[in-house]
Amino acid sequence: MNKKHKVYFLYVLILTGVIAWLGVIFLAPYLKSQSLSLNIFIYSVFSPICHQTPSRSFFFYGQPLAVCGRCLGIYSGFFLGTLLYPFLKGFSNTDLPKTRIFVIFSIPIVIDTMGNFLHLWLTPNVPRFFIGFLWGLILPFYFIAGITDLLLNAGQPKEKFD
Amino acid sequence: MDNQKPSMLAPALIGGVVAGILSGVPLLNCLCCLWIIGGTMLSAYLLSKNSSVALSSGDGAIVGVFAGIVAAVVQAIINIPLYALNREFIYKFVEKFSEYAEEMPSGWESWLEKGGVGVSPVAFMLNLVISAVIFAALGALGGIIGISLFRKKTPSPVQGEKDVSQDASDR
Repeated sequence: MNKKHKVYFLYVLILTGVIAWLGVIFLAPYLKSQSLSLNIFIYSVFSPICHQTPSRSFFFYGQPLAVCGRCLGIYSGFFLGTLLYPFLKGFSNTDLPKTRIFVIFSIPIVIDTMGNFLHLWLTPNVPRFFIGFLWGLILPFYFIAGITDLLLNAGQPKEKFD
Repeated sequence: MDNQKPSMLAPALIGGVVAGILSGVPLLNCLCCLWIIGGTMLSAYLLSKNSSVALSSGDGAIVGVFAGIVAAVVQAIINIPLYALNREFIYKFVEKFSEYAEEMPSGWESWLEKGGVGVSPVAFMLNLVISAVIFAALGALGGIIGISLFRKKTPSPVQGEKDVSQDASDR
């Protein structure tokens, strides 16, 4: 497999993984609504990375999703960003976004998260989703570029600072 | 030899331990995956700080993966005493609830005595492995972001000339 094919394969792998990840988030409440015990396993898989508080989660089939509204926004944004990635950046370009782009996309989630954490305000679920979504959009432009760089340039000699 | 990359062990351990503690402690863990990404960004920062060579985003991904695995182990260790606390809390809750409920499911007492809300070693290991995979992926992301924010830039020739002239004028 040449490098070009490796990069395509990596992209398809990441896209498939993101779709599966989102699918499982919605599968958990469906299984719970059907009283199928597999739901416990899925909820427990997501529990280390999300508080799963029902009041901060969207519901599906009458049950809370496997992650909270903000996390769902991040993963949904990641999905859209992954879809847009080849059109906006191209497959082999491993340059990372500029720092100011990251800062601009991160400001809303940092302010909202700190405000909620310090109990200054309580953001409803829909705005939380969109704040997470905005941040999630930028993440594939780091993740895919970084993993592609690892794939293409592993073992290359490094430039030394003076 | 001196243009080799710095060791990733210490940055990965420090960032991983920080991420694991913050994501495992109740109340603090309401920030979800952000602690893992933040902790692994710290790893990338420490790696970059000690590096005498230009680091790539792939280096950030590697240190992030290691830090993520460390974070998963630390979080699992933190959760061991919490399982016991949760178990005691649920036992008391169900016991109190049974005083008011007209009908409780049959065998609920024996279920609690057997440790129905505890965790078996197999489940613990399975959770640890799954957490390690997820944390490694999130760690790679945090490491790459960290490298993009904190890596030292190699000066371009034009910028280098400008710097020299500025130095000369300073003197």
